[in-house]
Amino acid sequence: MSEERLWKFKKPEWMNSAVARSAGVYAAGALFSLSFFLLLDAAVFSHSKLNGSDPPIHIAFIDWLPLIFSSLGMLIINSIEKTRLSADSFSYSGSGVAWKARVVLFLGFASLAGGMAGGVTVLVLKYVVPGVVWPGLWMGVANVLANGGVMMSSVVLWVSQNMEDEYSYNLAL
Amino acid sequence: MAAGLKTIISLSFVLAIGFLLVILSCALFKQYLPLLVVATYVLAPLPNWICGRCANPDDFVESAGNAVVDFGRFCTGFLVLMGIALPVVLAHSMLITYTAMVMSIIGGVLIYGTIISFGMFFQEEQEF
Repeated sequence: MSEERLWKFKKPEWMNSAVARSAGVYAAGALFSLSFFLLLDAAVFSHSKLNGSDPPIHIAFIDWLPLIFSSLGMLIINSIEKTRLSADSFSYSGSGVAWKARVVLFLGFASLAGGMAGGVTVLVLKYVVPGVVWPGLWMGVANVLANGGVMMSSVVLWVSQNMEDEYSYNLAL
Repeated sequence: MAAGLKTIISLSFVLAIGFLLVILSCALFKQYLPLLVVATYVLAPLPNWICGRCANPDDFVESAGNAVVDFGRFCTGFLVLMGIALPVVLAHSMLITYTAMVMSIIGGVLIYGTIISFGMFFQEEQEF
């Protein structure tokens, strides 16, 4: 086990506890909720009377599209059985499950990164280039923040799902 | 027994204060949207509970059961933050005032804390 380790620093002990694991999953849910509500806040703001942008700019389907892609990527990434990925030498590679898992995982990461890039694109093309000033610029900034939040959420969920293997391994021994 | 009774009384007291704050934040400003916070926090432990029943947590060989539990936790985390985020969203667009926002957030946290502590006390009694 220790000879297979690649990095100098060990994973700290507390990360393997069940409490840290479930806290990570809760935190991932909270982060996802935060990013969703950031974009929802921008949408509510755009239709409230505070939105004084001239000519009027509203949140349309285009603004939601990056978040949809990010969420789709997150769903794909975290639906994959992680143990299938490391099985490169025997048993699973016969039917090509590890290969399939990598392709699907690649699609998921591409979708996540595409969502992030889409958020920045919407910020630049819809808000920065036409020269929208601050209260209206929030709608674009919220888009980028929301996509970053989904990314963070999937990282947290990934890490806390990887904890599980160590944990159940320790219990099984 | 007396300690349990004391806990129940104090918890219900806290719950009443939480509801008072949320209802006050609605009624003072004639804007009843913050009541959604109560609905959110009542719904929040539900996914956790349902998925906990669906999965078998003792089964360490099959990780599919754990995935269901994780999904429930994810949904609960989502709903808990929703209870805080909803008043902030409403206040940011001036649908409710910032005073109402603070009151409904504090009330919501009190309500959710009561629900969680009740769940913990029940679990403790089930074990013994």
